[in-house]
Amino acid sequence: MSTYAFMRWLESTPSRYDRGMHLLSRGRMSRVYDRVAELAAGPGLRVLDVGCGTGGVTLACAARGAEAVGLDRDAGMLEVAAAKPAPADGSVEWVELGAAEIEDRFDPETFDSVVSCLAFSEMSPQERAYVLGIVHDRLRPGGRLVIADEVEPTGAGARLLYRLLRIPMTVATWLLTQKTTHPVHGLTDAVRQAGFANIDEERPWPAFVILSARRPS
Amino acid sequence: MKLLDSIFDTAFRFLPHRSKTGLFPIGDPDRSSPVIVTGNYTLTVRRVSKALQGEDVWLLVTDSRGINVWCAAGGGHLTHHDVIAAVRTSQVADRVDHQELILPQLSATGVERNRVEEATGWHATWGPVHATDLPAFLRRGRHAVREERAVRFPMSDRLQMAVMWTAPMVPILWLILWAISGPLPAVVGAVAITAIVLGLFAGMPWLPLRTHRGLLVYGGLALAGFAFGAALFTAAGALTTRNLIVLAAACVVGTGIVSVDVAGSTPLLSSSVNPSDFRVELLVDRCTGAAQCVLVCPRDVLVMNGHVHKVEIVRPANCILCGACIVQCPEDALRFRFDDGRVVEPATIRRTRLNLLGKRTIDVT
Repeated sequence: MSTYAFMRWLESTPSRYDRGMHLLSRGRMSRVYDRVAELAAGPGLRVLDVGCGTGGVTLACAARGAEAVGLDRDAGMLEVAAAKPAPADGSVEWVELGAAEIEDRFDPETFDSVVSCLAFSEMSPQERAYVLGIVHDRLRPGGRLVIADEVEPTGAGARLLYRLLRIPMTVATWLLTQKTTHPVHGLTDAVRQAGFANIDEERPWPAFVILSARRPS
Repeated sequence: MKLLDSIFDTAFRFLPHRSKTGLFPIGDPDRSSPVIVTGNYTLTVRRVSKALQGEDVWLLVTDSRGINVWCAAGGGHLTHHDVIAAVRTSQVADRVDHQELILPQLSATGVERNRVEEATGWHATWGPVHATDLPAFLRRGRHAVREERAVRFPMSDRLQMAVMWTAPMVPILWLILWAISGPLPAVVGAVAITAIVLGLFAGMPWLPLRTHRGLLVYGGLALAGFAFGAALFTAAGALTTRNLIVLAAACVVGTGIVSVDVAGSTPLLSSSVNPSDFRVELLVDRCTGAAQCVLVCPRDVLVMNGHVHKVEIVRPANCILCGACIVQCPEDALRFRFDDGRVVEPATIRRTRLNLLGKRTIDVT
């Protein structure tokens, strides 16, 4: 394998990311974006998307009339996001920032919702706890947190099948997106420990969760 | 188990291997012990830890996506965002009384030192290029001498790179050769290709790979591999025309694959992935003599001229266009200039680093 071709291919990752995720999720990811937006966004609401990548969730929120802010550490991903057409109703702003730097840019209690898709599973448990604490404080009292991410299925049979498919799926994911996804463990507890309440979970498919919670009023 | 891990990591080092991130003690560190930053590539963490045996330090492992520090920093996978996240989320501030970080010098293409300092309040120093120089660096009071600021590519490292090439390539070519012509030519072909790659990396300091004679070098290597294979066929009593044709094809294909971007797997040459028609340009009027560029250049290209308090590019031929000097200059006094006059400003380099270089035309003025 030539490193030349390999590096060229790596360079083009952001522009291929959406197509890869669409294939891997068998078309379900765009429905996840819409569902997250349905739970978190509305006309005039200010929404922060943590780890927005190519902006799927951010734009879905803006399409519902929200003032959406997409935050990501990866400038390449943000370039792809910024090149997408902005919705007519809401507004979008793209910010290059790490999840652990939210407090440097945004004041407490300035967002109605915080959303995140496939970003918390990329964090270490310490980083996850830290970021949840920070976003809790950025939300207005009563504000909503919505996290969509990969998890292990609950049923024993489904979990066994999921674990058997992990290696081939990891290879496929890396080939298509040059990302590695991991199931996130202990997300519900971490959200609760950060001070959130009214935690609801739904599973669009067994190995994926959409968790919503509220900062108590 | 550790030996197996090392063998696996070395053979497949072109793939990411993630280790745990966070703060780890080496030896018996206390509240005044140094904090050394590295990436979470398993091989790196293991080697840095080994180099620091006998020292009492904290190792702050940041998320470089399981990629080695230099490649991760150059590709945008290890940036100041990751170092800031590590400082804030690892509880390092609760474990030490100082606010001093030692950053790996090779992370300078991606980690903006001043952004780390602004966001964390910690002072960051560039450590040496090679982990093996860390103990001496610490003994000198966190000071690297000039030789420690330059990348070295000793035989042991060159042979590891040869293994990195042969581990995935040879088995695949061996299977193809087996399918075409059976077991013996497959083994001889695989051995010949391995010998070519080993010879290339072992002899690299003396081979003019990036000159007009580069093609002759590769031709010579393919020929030497072919001769070696022919000798093996002779020893096995299987010197037939068909076998020699298969062997010749194997040698040409193997050499061809390696020759596409052998430069990219050495620290001494700029990768063929990027265009080669651009140079680092120094805007002398902007230079204030901060000399951050001198500290981070891994090829000893720049020096500080104390008389005029300006930096000078003294060894341009050494430059591998890594961009570290451009990223770190506080005055934006360095940038890339293409031979046709177009320039790439520091802001673009900081945003895309070496990643997406092929797409930098977006911002080239």
